[in-house]
Amino acid sequence: MELKIQNVTMTYPSGKQALKGLNLELKSPSLIGLLGPNGAGKSTLMKLLVTALLPTGGCILADGKPLARAERTLKANLGYLPQDFGLFDELSVTQFLDYMAALKGLPNPKAAIQEVIAAVNLEEKAKAKIRTLSGGQRQRVGIAQALLGDPSLLIFDEPTVGLDPEERIHFRNLFSRTAQNRLVLLSTHIIEDVQSVCDQIVVIHRGQILFTGTPEELIQSAAGHVGAFYAQEAAQERGLHITARVNTGKGVRCRAVADVLPAFAQVEEPTLEDAYLYLISREAAR
Amino acid sequence: MKTIRLLPLELGRLLQSRLTWLVMLLTVLGPAAGLFLYKPATAATMNSIYLANPAIAGGVVGGILFGLLAIFELDRARRSRMDVLTDAAVSPLCTALARLLALLAAAVLTVALTALLWLPVSAGLTGAVFDGTDYLLAYLLLMGAALPLGILAASCAYQFTRRADLSGVLLAVFAALSLTVWAGDWQLCWLNPCVWALSDDFSNFRVFCSVAWMRLTWLLALSGVWTLSWLCVRQHGKGALGSLARSARRAYRPAVALALLACSCAVHLAQPFIDHSNPDLTVMSFYEIPYAQDVTFLSRSAQVFPDTSAGTVTGRASYRLRNASGREQRISFGINPGYAVSHVRANGADVPFSVSDYQEYNEALLEVTVPAEEVVEVTMEYSGLPQESIPTMQGGKELSSEYLCLENAALSPRLLNVLPGENGYPAELEITLPANMTAVPFGSAQAEVVSQDESGARTWRWEDNGTGGILYAGDYVREDIEAGGMTIQFYYGRKHQAVMEEVGAVEAVRAVVDYCTRHYGMLSFGSGETLKLIQSRVAGGGYAADGASLLDEADFTAANLGDTGKGAAPGETFIHELVHQWWGLGNMFDAADPAGPWSAEGLTVYTTYRIVKELYGEAYAREHYVDQWQRAVDDYYLNFYVRHPEYLELLPESEQLSISNSLSGVRQYSEMPLKILRAEQLVGGEEAMDKILYSLFNRELDPMYPYLTYEEFLSACALTEEELNLE
Repeated sequence: MELKIQNVTMTYPSGKQALKGLNLELKSPSLIGLLGPNGAGKSTLMKLLVTALLPTGGCILADGKPLARAERTLKANLGYLPQDFGLFDELSVTQFLDYMAALKGLPNPKAAIQEVIAAVNLEEKAKAKIRTLSGGQRQRVGIAQALLGDPSLLIFDEPTVGLDPEERIHFRNLFSRTAQNRLVLLSTHIIEDVQSVCDQIVVIHRGQILFTGTPEELIQSAAGHVGAFYAQEAAQERGLHITARVNTGKGVRCRAVADVLPAFAQVEEPTLEDAYLYLISREAAR
Repeated sequence: MKTIRLLPLELGRLLQSRLTWLVMLLTVLGPAAGLFLYKPATAATMNSIYLANPAIAGGVVGGILFGLLAIFELDRARRSRMDVLTDAAVSPLCTALARLLALLAAAVLTVALTALLWLPVSAGLTGAVFDGTDYLLAYLLLMGAALPLGILAASCAYQFTRRADLSGVLLAVFAALSLTVWAGDWQLCWLNPCVWALSDDFSNFRVFCSVAWMRLTWLLALSGVWTLSWLCVRQHGKGALGSLARSARRAYRPAVALALLACSCAVHLAQPFIDHSNPDLTVMSFYEIPYAQDVTFLSRSAQVFPDTSAGTVTGRASYRLRNASGREQRISFGINPGYAVSHVRANGADVPFSVSDYQEYNEALLEVTVPAEEVVEVTMEYSGLPQESIPTMQGGKELSSEYLCLENAALSPRLLNVLPGENGYPAELEITLPANMTAVPFGSAQAEVVSQDESGARTWRWEDNGTGGILYAGDYVREDIEAGGMTIQFYYGRKHQAVMEEVGAVEAVRAVVDYCTRHYGMLSFGSGETLKLIQSRVAGGGYAADGASLLDEADFTAANLGDTGKGAAPGETFIHELVHQWWGLGNMFDAADPAGPWSAEGLTVYTTYRIVKELYGEAYAREHYVDQWQRAVDDYYLNFYVRHPEYLELLPESEQLSISNSLSGVRQYSEMPLKILRAEQLVGGEEAMDKILYSLFNRELDPMYPYLTYEEFLSACALTEEELNLE
């Protein structure tokens, strides 16, 4: 699966411009982390990729064909988990997945359903009505329906919300395994998830792409721009973007990003979160 | 294809919902409303009361409930945010179609369940006249078809507006229109078909065809509108118009919608059942056509071939005329508006003719130019479905293998502007009918079988004298009864045989005719030697003419015969209905005030009492008639609303009507017979009263006001109103 986003613009009827001349190429196999602050345009981009919205400018090509014309093919090969979704509460987990399998037109739904139920650890709840499930279990049902039928394109919007840390690690690994022969797009605000599994990162801000590349490249871009110091030393200092504060025996130790670090700051090895924040703060300063 | 795969799952999901089962349960119970609350079929036949009303009420309840269920279900996916998942897997158009089909399947299931559960109830209530085909058609057409229409209408509203509240309001308005403003328009009342009666003893082919036509019209219309609304199903984050513009890119989709709407319009306009007669009944322009100068009538004949499976008629008619004018003449005929005329010839040569678009009194004007020859034989062929004039009382032109009624221009074209010859308007008519049917010309003429083909179909021939003629035919039982010095030919439907035998119909006819002829005289319309009593399909009343009288089947239902207000036993109620041949036929009583105490019922109930007294003795008659009247009248005078009518006016209109009807029933069926009995005592006994009634029955009628009034009765008895006061 190959997706080409060419000069895509999306302006809502209210006049709000969510995406501005976006250009991007996504090719499988890959697990792409989509990062950006709230309102950056991540969800809009995802909706465009699943044809829930149509761009007001530019075009998106799926395997060389305009998405608007290849909608049926795209949907047949798509697994999508939106951030905000509902389920038919009166159905059992198996019935719901059977319903979704029929929607996707799967030829052998029973086997596929068993497989995804196992993948999301819901065997014990397979026959339970959805209305009886907890929030985390409902989220897992959502992930299961996206995985149904081994789609070649998987799009997850905040998939690990509501999951406990153990489950988050499980699903992080699941996504990583899944991406070995597919294109997986993962939008999340948990940088740790991205850092551990994504081989590519796209950062969007104010409807534009700030960065595309590997996590290492993003981290590299922040080298020399991350420093640590104690709070009292920086009392008079301006232009620093504090990313973390830790109480220590010597006082509050701060971690900050800046274009030019002050002399009192000790240069630190950047993390992915530092790099992301550096990127965003630099853009905000402009 | 995906929609078909999705359908069982969508249906399964629908059936998992408790609300769906509640809607199904209430719909299954819906026909009960037709027994107690909502009774649009006003006729008194068993099938009207126990089949039509429950089925129509079930349709109204089911149509509305399934409409609401459709709105709820369509809105549910959006409410629960499930649509974001389904839309990512498949086009929202696909899910919308699957949901519609699932709702329709649930409706079909519900109708099947309803028909199954109500079968023993209907069979038990209608008794001997229960007919499986009528039952199935009633539940299919009167009830069943309302449910998909409700679903389609509600789905349209939701798919256009995408708002459950607004859709509910739109559905309510649409249903209310059908139940109120459109209730009298048989083509518009989509929810509650305009059925006033279903026959017990004969078929209901016309009524069911007409309802099926209305349902088809609406099904096409709502399918067309639904297809348009389907194109407005929101997708790609666009509004209704944006989605429509995108969905309509596949040109076949809007084309299908427009084709469905066009078909609906065509079906609406091309309805074959009701004519376009001038609604102004004071206009009688066909009777004002001047007679063709120097043209007189010699004879006519017609061969009529009803197609009892299609309900149509094919006929050949021939008219021999003397044209002494020496020039061409324009001859006018009245013809049923449903017929098409072909091959009009005069003396073997084609002649020009025209059929008017203008219609009045269920006739169109057929005009034929005949040549300037002295004797002209005009022949013509006609065919078609006979049309009716009154859309709210359909069924009069019933034509099936069980029953037919062809009146005047529906039998053969009726001459309008040719003067009678020396012998009047002699006519020889033939009709070919299935083996089980008996032809009964209305009047003194007798039909005879003249031939029979291999299939058993028989050709009947009869002679008449007149430009029109009425023929009844049906699966009749004929009983010849000698009574009152004449032969009564009593024709009743074979399906009613059990009921007629149970009430001793033959003995009752004999007793009534003997008694009434002896006491009041011969019927004015009797031919002297024979009198045909013909049970007709439910028609809202009977009528009589030379040598024949029509008895409406509604008067002889098991329910009516069990009405103790008319007779102590079913056989006595049968007597009561027959007594109406003397008291109450045609315009004997002024019907301007149907709730007034003086009506056909007073003298009829009194005469029934006298006959029963003669048959079973004085004690029986007193116990079952006089004492019962007295009890009812005593209760009447003690009734709260009779003593305080001002409180009656405070009640809701429907309650007022119900109480008023009940009270006027007591006055007509109990108070007036008791007053007549009091009058009998005051005038000197039964013999004296019989003489008075004889004189009233045989009085000279004022053609301008032929009614028998209470004042005339009092005057004949030489009594005042106060003298008969029972209080």
